[in-house]
Amino acid sequence: MDLSGQYRIPADVATVWAALNDAEVLSRCIPGCEELEKESDTEMAAKVALKIGPVKARFSGRVKLQDLNPPHSYSIVGEGKGGVAGFAKGGADVRLTQDGDETVLDYSAKAQVGGKLAQLGSRLVKSTSAKLADQFFDNFSKAVAG
Amino acid sequence: MYQTKYHKPASIDDAVAALAVAEDGKVLGGGQTLLPTMKQHLASPTDLVDVGGISGMADISVSDGCLTIGAGARHADVAASSVVRDAIPALACLAGGIGDPAVRSMGTIGGSVANNDPAADYPAAVLGLGATVVTNTREIAADDFFEGMFTTALEEDEIITAIKFPIPSSAGYSKFPNPASRYAMVGVFVANGGSGARVAVTGAGQDGVFRADSMESALSSNFSAGSLDGTSLDADGMMADIHGTAEYRAHLVSVVAKRAVTSAV
Repeated sequence: MDLSGQYRIPADVATVWAALNDAEVLSRCIPGCEELEKESDTEMAAKVALKIGPVKARFSGRVKLQDLNPPHSYSIVGEGKGGVAGFAKGGADVRLTQDGDETVLDYSAKAQVGGKLAQLGSRLVKSTSAKLADQFFDNFSKAVAG
Repeated sequence: MYQTKYHKPASIDDAVAALAVAEDGKVLGGGQTLLPTMKQHLASPTDLVDVGGISGMADISVSDGCLTIGAGARHADVAASSVVRDAIPALACLAGGIGDPAVRSMGTIGGSVANNDPAADYPAAVLGLGATVVTNTREIAADDFFEGMFTTALEEDEIITAIKFPIPSSAGYSKFPNPASRYAMVGVFVANGGSGARVAVTGAGQDGVFRADSMESALSSNFSAGSLDGTSLDADGMMADIHGTAEYRAHLVSVVAKRAVTSAV
């Protein structure tokens, strides 16, 4: 599954970059995030509870940042396991561009979902992912704009 | 395995009380979405509050130009109801086309509306007819009720008790069902009433059911399938999956909307 999007964030590139690397900011912005711990400068562990319609699943996962080119771009790769619900893994390339007072954030992601979630939810996986991404960036824009 | 406590309250108040003390409680209507989800362990509520035993929950009646259907009414009952057939035939027809006979025998209107599956049929009727969702605490207009895929204005412990449908001069529903699940690939409910035409689309939008403004204005000036010639919907925001692309769904909306208008009585 491919997913991409563009968001305008009302802050300069350096601020956005710092926030994207701040576990505290991320944990507030990730929908359903219960825990996010920075294990090193480029690795984080997270616990996320997702509630979509009747489905309630708790994922624990690891995220790694790669190809860092501060403050312009990086790649995130990660995977999460949701017990009987299944698993998700994927990666996203994130690029930041300054435009006046604002930062334009582009991302393109590839993700795979497996297990029961994928079997039963195939008709909804993409819409759900897009919705979660929108929620995250919406929260993120607000958090960064202060 | 996990334990679930089953409650069968005799009144709405008891149901609300059972939900309030439950650690992770869920309202059980007909169970056509919730039970398969639980069987797959994709949800494991600590408490199930079955509202099927509450008297009057499945009543169907007409008064003051309004058709009221109790939240516990099953799809098969709505489809067969002479009251519904007389008042809003399109609604009876919609109910008769949901899922398969097993789903129709168990599934309830309240459950379907509260779940707000982006491809479910009932949300299109509720929004298309400008209905009112009645809960244990308040009345919510359809336009304020559906807040996106699987999301509604309902609070955690709020229970739908009935849906009130204003009776239109004419209405029609048509859907292009997925042949396996019978969920709408695209379903369009059109209604022509005192305040103009309403068009609600299910199955197509990423955010669930939505109103097609351009089609509503075209139909408000002339309620005929021909009026929809030239109206089209943007593929942006349409659902895309293995069954069809966003462009395909956008095109289907126009085709299905015309069929709905043609079928309107």
